[in-house]
Amino acid sequence: MDTAVHPDIEGSLIEALKQGDSTAYKKAVRGYSPGMLAVARFYLDHSSAEEIVQDCWVTVIDAIHKFEGRSGLKTWLHRIVANRCKNKLRSSKREVATDFSEGLEPELAERFNATGRWDVPPKLKFHESADTLMENGALSDCLDKHLSALPETQRSALMLYEAHQHKSEDVCNILDVSASNLRVLLHRARQKIFLMVETFQETGEC
Amino acid sequence: MLMCRDLAEIASDYIDGELSARQNLSVKMHLMMCQDCRTFIGNLRASTRLMQAHSSGHPDEELLRRIDERISEALKTRRTRDNDEE
Repeated sequence: MDTAVHPDIEGSLIEALKQGDSTAYKKAVRGYSPGMLAVARFYLDHSSAEEIVQDCWVTVIDAIHKFEGRSGLKTWLHRIVANRCKNKLRSSKREVATDFSEGLEPELAERFNATGRWDVPPKLKFHESADTLMENGALSDCLDKHLSALPETQRSALMLYEAHQHKSEDVCNILDVSASNLRVLLHRARQKIFLMVETFQETGEC
Repeated sequence: MLMCRDLAEIASDYIDGELSARQNLSVKMHLMMCQDCRTFIGNLRASTRLMQAHSSGHPDEELLRRIDERISEALKTRRTRDNDEE
């Protein structure tokens, strides 16, 4: 449910939610909460993010009757979470600290010489298929570990864009970042994942 | 002329089709001549696909259970309210 949901399936789910069907709620909670949590973690610490997600689901019970389907259910839910988080930050007068400094990850930057050519070029070609890579359990665990170590802002941008397949415009709205800052967040996160996979392929270590 | 380092800086924009036509052309020209950058772009693309295939985070069961409980209570309250209004 994190990626594209067939409109008919989503339509029936929305209808069931409007009827107050508790089984439909259980299904929706399991399908949509990971993304909602990723949005909340962009703005808040872990326990506040979990609280906001719980509160949002309670809000949804009434708000779903006003859902007009102008966006998909996922985008609508993510916006509710983002707005709640922004209100919470406003009331506590806090701001999200985000590093939008441009350029390359230091570990990658030092692999180029003064003329801008590769000094230490990528040696191995990764497997073409992501499925083949993912079949490697140790790599999957390593990816989990590195994803958890990413700064929240980079991780949320990566999650919403890659794993939840939001359009850039939606990610910018939900996370309240400019298009150029989103590009910076994505590129930095991807470089880290690239470096991690490369080390893993070369050494077998995480 | 676009150097390998410049290309590495805009590699994500290239992968996502976010470059201007002119920048896109310079990247393509560079890639035609540079095996290392072709490997880099291929590997960055594979990392991106890996992310897409990877699970998008799992909230723990305890949180899901708490959400279920709160929804169940809220649904009960709503039903009672609706019945009272009728």
